[in-house]
Amino acid sequence: MTTGPAPGALTEEIARTVQGVPGVAFLRPGLAGRLRSTLPRAQEGRDRAPTAGVRLSRPGGTERWHVEIHLVALGQVRALDVARAARRSVEEYLLSVFPAEASAHVTVTVTGRV
Amino acid sequence: MAGACSQNAPPDVQGEVEDALLTVRAAEGDEDAFAALMQCHAPALIRLATRLLGNRSEAEDAVQEAFINAWRRLPEFHNRSSFGTWMYRITTNRCLNVLRARKPVATLEAAGDPPAPEHSASPARIAEARDAVRELREALDLLSVEQRACWVLRELDGQSYEFIADAVGISQEAVRARVFRARRCLTQAMGAWR
Amino acid sequence: MTAHTDPSDAHSGSPHTDDTHTGDVHDDERLPCGRLLSQVWDDWERGPADTADPHLRTCPHCRRSVRGLDELESAVRDLRDETTDTSAYDTTSLTQRVMDVVRLELRPGRPLSLGEPAEDLWIMESVAARTLRAAAESVSGVRAGSCRLLPLDISDGTGGPVVEVSLALHAPARVPLPELADQVRGRVREAADRELGLAIGAVDIRVTDLIDTTADSQEGETR
Repeated sequence: MTTGPAPGALTEEIARTVQGVPGVAFLRPGLAGRLRSTLPRAQEGRDRAPTAGVRLSRPGGTERWHVEIHLVALGQVRALDVARAARRSVEEYLLSVFPAEASAHVTVTVTGRV
Repeated sequence: MAGACSQNAPPDVQGEVEDALLTVRAAEGDEDAFAALMQCHAPALIRLATRLLGNRSEAEDAVQEAFINAWRRLPEFHNRSSFGTWMYRITTNRCLNVLRARKPVATLEAAGDPPAPEHSASPARIAEARDAVRELREALDLLSVEQRACWVLRELDGQSYEFIADAVGISQEAVRARVFRARRCLTQAMGAWR
Repeated sequence: MTAHTDPSDAHSGSPHTDDTHTGDVHDDERLPCGRLLSQVWDDWERGPADTADPHLRTCPHCRRSVRGLDELESAVRDLRDETTDTSAYDTTSLTQRVMDVVRLELRPGRPLSLGEPAEDLWIMESVAARTLRAAAESVSGVRAGSCRLLPLDISDGTGGPVVEVSLALHAPARVPLPELADQVRGRVREAADRELGLAIGAVDIRVTDLIDTTADSQEGETR
């Protein structure tokens, strides 16, 4: 068994990583903050569920991580480039945490552009 | 979006075309198009709901629910009628449900209802017209939910019997019967006749 | 006659079936002159009584019943006026509350493949459609309606275009449509490539309406 962050913390770290990728506006369902950052509860919404657009699994108990990302991209950046950068950031992050493991399978869906 | 608003009253062709376009976009998941439609149609629907329910805050809730409901049902809407007519129908039904839900409460403990009649507060009559309006508001609570709805759509919203029948989902004859009974009840309750 | 009674409740155990028995049977009243109240009121509603038969003007019973309705009507007018002032109603907060719900809801939709099929990167159809509609509307006078993106069978493995676009437009009148369509196709392709990274095949354009742009009202429609 590999050591590393607990699954919950891992999901959170991945969410943070993706959110830091240029061109990513936010992860999908935690999007109450979209366009309304002036509302107090919008801020709450964003803080409450930072991992809502990340699903992490190891199907069939294999050693290979399967990561699903749902994100909203910024309109000025090419959607494909954002999706690729997001995928790369997740792959690199997982590699840094689990250097000995097979590379993760990452799928990214752009669910909005703002 | 210039001239995008087509509500029930003015038959604005340009507005209707724009409405139909926005409706298709909203049905395909364009949230901004839906927001534009809402900006357009909300005032008329708020007015309708306020007349049906008798107070603004419940009216806003009803219209909010109606729009959320509409968003979910939009993919199956297919522009069978205009968006405005469709929303009018959804809002009317929503209000009917609200009225049905509160009817027993209103009769059992009228005090719990915000626009409840204030029989005690009856000082010297200041303005007769205002009194008549208040009496009318109170008398409206005596109507059955269905009578009230048909009467409000007819008398306050000025809709045709045909339109009301369609909005409420009953026959024109039934609408006429309800409006008649409502008028009868109201004239009697207000002491206007006999 | 008791005034505060809902007639429908008074007659049966089931209060909400009042449309099953018609008014003339149960709740109508025959005035002493022999006319039915419902008929008298019906005539009143249809319009100026002077066109109707003279009875309505001369019969005291009919006149009294109509006077009651007239008095009600004046209160109704005031109530109507009181409840009309929503023209200044600010819909912003209502719209915002609804849109907060709408934007949080995941509309079931179709994901389209971005980049190479093996990359496992996707964009929702509704999101791509919005970008393409905006691109179409960058052509002066054009308004975009339905925009569907249909994934093609990619089993041939050539790596060619995988998505066909079907776009409905309102076009400005008096502009040659073939040229307009070509221009729109160009913008749509460019946006699909530059803004999305989505490889598209045929762009099928239907003009569903012609907008008369002679009026200056269309100025500024396209940004």
